[in-house]
Amino acid sequence: MFRIDRRYFKNFDWVLLALLLGVASMALTNLYSASYPPAPYGIPPFIKQCYLFLFGMMSILFILFFDYRELHFWNYPFYIIIIILLLLVLFAGNSAGGAQRWINLGFFKLQPSELAKLMMVVTLASYYSRKEQNEGYGIRDMVTPVLLTLLPFLLILKQPDLGTALMLGIVFVSMTVFAKVRWQTYGLGIILGSGCAVFAWFYLLRDYQKRRIETLLNPAKDPMGQGYQILQSKIAVGSGGVSGKGYLEGTQGHLHFLPERHTDFAFSVWGEEWGFAGSLFFLGVYFSMLFWGLYAAMTARDRFGVFLSFGVVMLIFWQAVINLLMILGFLPVVGIPLPLVSYGGSSLLTTLLAIGILMNVRMRRFQSGQNAEKMN
Amino acid sequence: MKWSGYKNLEELTEHDDATLDLLKRRLGVAGLVIIIFGTLIFARLWFLQIYKGDEYRNRADNNRVRMREIAPPRGNILDSKGRQMVTNRPSFNVVLVREDSNDVDQLLKKLATALDIDISLLWEKLRDASGKPRHIPVRLLEDVDWQTLAYVENHNQRFPGIRIEAVPSRVYHYENLAAHAIGYLGAISKKELAARDTSIYAGGDLIGKMGLERLHEADLRGEKGSSSSEVDARGFEQQLLKDVEPLPGNDIQLTLDAELQKVAEDLMEAGDKAGAVVAMEVKTGRMLVLASNPVLPLNQFVGGISHKNWNALLDNSKHPLINKVVQAMYPPGSTYKMMTAMAGLATGVITPDTVFYCPGYYTFGKRRYHCWKHSGHGAVNLKRAISESCDVYFYQVGLRVGVDNLAKYANKFGLGHKSGIDMEHEKSGLTPTKAWKQKRHGQKWQDGETLSVAIGQGFNLVTPLQICLMTATIANGGIQYLPQVIEKVTDPEGKILKEFEPVVVDELKNEKQFLPLIRNGMEEVIQGSRGTARKVRIKGITIGGKTGTAQVVRLKQYKHLKEEDIPYKYRDHAWFTCYAPAEDPQIAITVLVEHGLHGGSNAGPVARALLETYFAEHLQRLADAEEEEKKNE
Repeated sequence: MFRIDRRYFKNFDWVLLALLLGVASMALTNLYSASYPPAPYGIPPFIKQCYLFLFGMMSILFILFFDYRELHFWNYPFYIIIIILLLLVLFAGNSAGGAQRWINLGFFKLQPSELAKLMMVVTLASYYSRKEQNEGYGIRDMVTPVLLTLLPFLLILKQPDLGTALMLGIVFVSMTVFAKVRWQTYGLGIILGSGCAVFAWFYLLRDYQKRRIETLLNPAKDPMGQGYQILQSKIAVGSGGVSGKGYLEGTQGHLHFLPERHTDFAFSVWGEEWGFAGSLFFLGVYFSMLFWGLYAAMTARDRFGVFLSFGVVMLIFWQAVINLLMILGFLPVVGIPLPLVSYGGSSLLTTLLAIGILMNVRMRRFQSGQNAEKMN
Repeated sequence: MKWSGYKNLEELTEHDDATLDLLKRRLGVAGLVIIIFGTLIFARLWFLQIYKGDEYRNRADNNRVRMREIAPPRGNILDSKGRQMVTNRPSFNVVLVREDSNDVDQLLKKLATALDIDISLLWEKLRDASGKPRHIPVRLLEDVDWQTLAYVENHNQRFPGIRIEAVPSRVYHYENLAAHAIGYLGAISKKELAARDTSIYAGGDLIGKMGLERLHEADLRGEKGSSSSEVDARGFEQQLLKDVEPLPGNDIQLTLDAELQKVAEDLMEAGDKAGAVVAMEVKTGRMLVLASNPVLPLNQFVGGISHKNWNALLDNSKHPLINKVVQAMYPPGSTYKMMTAMAGLATGVITPDTVFYCPGYYTFGKRRYHCWKHSGHGAVNLKRAISESCDVYFYQVGLRVGVDNLAKYANKFGLGHKSGIDMEHEKSGLTPTKAWKQKRHGQKWQDGETLSVAIGQGFNLVTPLQICLMTATIANGGIQYLPQVIEKVTDPEGKILKEFEPVVVDELKNEKQFLPLIRNGMEEVIQGSRGTARKVRIKGITIGGKTGTAQVVRLKQYKHLKEEDIPYKYRDHAWFTCYAPAEDPQIAITVLVEHGLHGGSNAGPVARALLETYFAEHLQRLADAEEEEKKNE
């Protein structure tokens, strides 16, 4: 399995690493401010995140030794492990704020639903790359991926964690559309999907989840409650102006007007302190990283590599877009973090592993087959 | 890896280049989606940070900056000798800033339990403030004690939104002394707020409600300061941004003499008397004593008077809420006889030597008008008429002068119109004329009524202040001064803004010449062997004065009763007015005791005590000299 080859080193994607480090350093800088002043007890979030980042980088190094194609083999064992973890969460998980999402490992609180996102990408990439359908996938082809998605989806929804469950759905839709399905499949999908949505609104969504959606439609109705978070976030970002209030000078964040300032609303702190200029710079680097990911898909040597890279990019992209649109007041507060930026170990590790997979695909783009011959 | 169904990686990843390219082409669509959303986010950032940047910056500042008003210490009130009568002390209120609390219900419950108070009280306060903006503090508890203060301060983390507010509160060093003149403060009412400049006043402010506190509100209130500080989302202050010190109000020094005032009030109080004591500097118009009994309990008004206490004041039969110095009118009784005498002399109807015979009554028309001395005074001249208060003499003078002339001269001495003193709701009194009766009652004047008016009964009405003013005008040689209560107004730096200056309202011309004659009679009232106020006599000071009895009702059923058997409210009012020293009058004192029956015995001693206090130094010197003389012998 281990094939140490000098070519791997030569083909290593230094640009992607640079972009990742760029985003991560800004994110950690921001996290320091977002959790400032440090609480008098426990390890400050900033330090924890730094450790986790280092751990994540070592994990990337570790997985680079394996060929990404071996995920074909490991995919289902992983899938089963994650499902077991998700079940474990439901029965023996730690709960906070009315939801049961974590498994306490003592030194680390693992959120299996985060890992499930990445697992979903891998599983679907594996499925679609093995089962090739040039004419597009028919309804019967969709049974397996739908069931594979539905199982973790429902388990996560049960926690309840609407945001993450929704992410699984979005990943599924993105990858399936990318894999190309037939028109009939779309039709049936849309009918079933909207049916489920109506059903969910009346029977599945909790009151607080409904309220969040209602608040988005009319935030002024309840300025001290749900709308408060969105309003304070908009005030934070808006008050940053062109050049921002300066690092560690953000009043919205440091005076606690901003809720969840180091987790879901971390970018509000950045926007407030660095202004429009800083926000553009940050998003410039962030989106460059995403485009580079697409480039990785473009240069991947096989179908699996393309699907994997595409899935990873979509996973990060959609989380980022949903988080940013929420911060900027376009979407309800659903609890989706900004990958790499929001505080949270499971999310950070998952994202780093995902980028590790991208690097892996990039590194092995000339390994063999036609691509390699072309280059020669 | 058999379980996966494939033998090796190569087999698994076998593919056709054409289909791979087809797949990769679709990545372009993904790129497009990323660009679209990126642009959306870019546009939104531009909208929030550039287009609406200033607006949101303001809102962020509004979030974090909390401006708090600091109440200025009110100006002090001093007496003429510089003694502090009313000053300030810090008092502490528990206030709630609703904006800083996310659960007001829960907070109030916690607070009520912790401080062991009735929660409905807190609710009421909150309801009253429901119309105000949420960042304006609502006063929950006023003037709390030290325990409460310490508890709330120490547990402020438990009560987000609850704060302690320090405000100056009034201290009355002489308790209720001169309460009616000084007045009290209260929370500004909605009506008062609507009528005032909202840049100066806000709801919950204290404002003068009565007396000088109300009349000189503008002088006393000072200017509010403010303190801007940065607060966090829970309302806790983080740092001070700007501090504007409040400007204390101006100090007011009164012409009142606290010592004299105290003597007057204590004596009235000791005798359980209702009424008024007024003393005035004869040659300036400075008011030295303005006492109205029973006094107002000023301390009950600090922090708002309770319903129970207020109703007790309202129901009191001695009417403590009325400032009897200027707001109550009584018939002047015999004190009016000086006016009748003046009118007689000035119109030439009588001379000092004109003698009328008093058989104890005077018959006019079909009616017999009695003298108070039913046995009669015999032959009476002006001096005796005044000193013994012969009614028959003045019936005849009044009749000859006519009621209109009586009114004309009375007006020159300050009766029948407002004096213009710096007090509220001053009554003008009444000096009846023929025209007045025609207008008021639509009836012709009856000459018999002139008889009553001539001896100070009938339609005549005066305030105690007016009688004092009249006495002063007689004493000073005919100059009617404006009675004033303010010696000077000084700003906090000590700069004098206003200073007392005598104001002449009216002055007698030729009629001045008759005043010594009247004073002669008045001095005889006290010094004479048959004077009606011999009891007031003080060795070493020559006093001029006059007693008076104001009829309340003349009911037959009480006529034969002994005085003490007449019900309180039907007893006559007692007057005594005087000036001293006769050689060079300095002070005029008027005492009215409601339902006090006799001027000489009931009102006189109060005036006597005041004179003794006022001339204490002089009397001491006399006593010392006498002792010296004794030793030498």
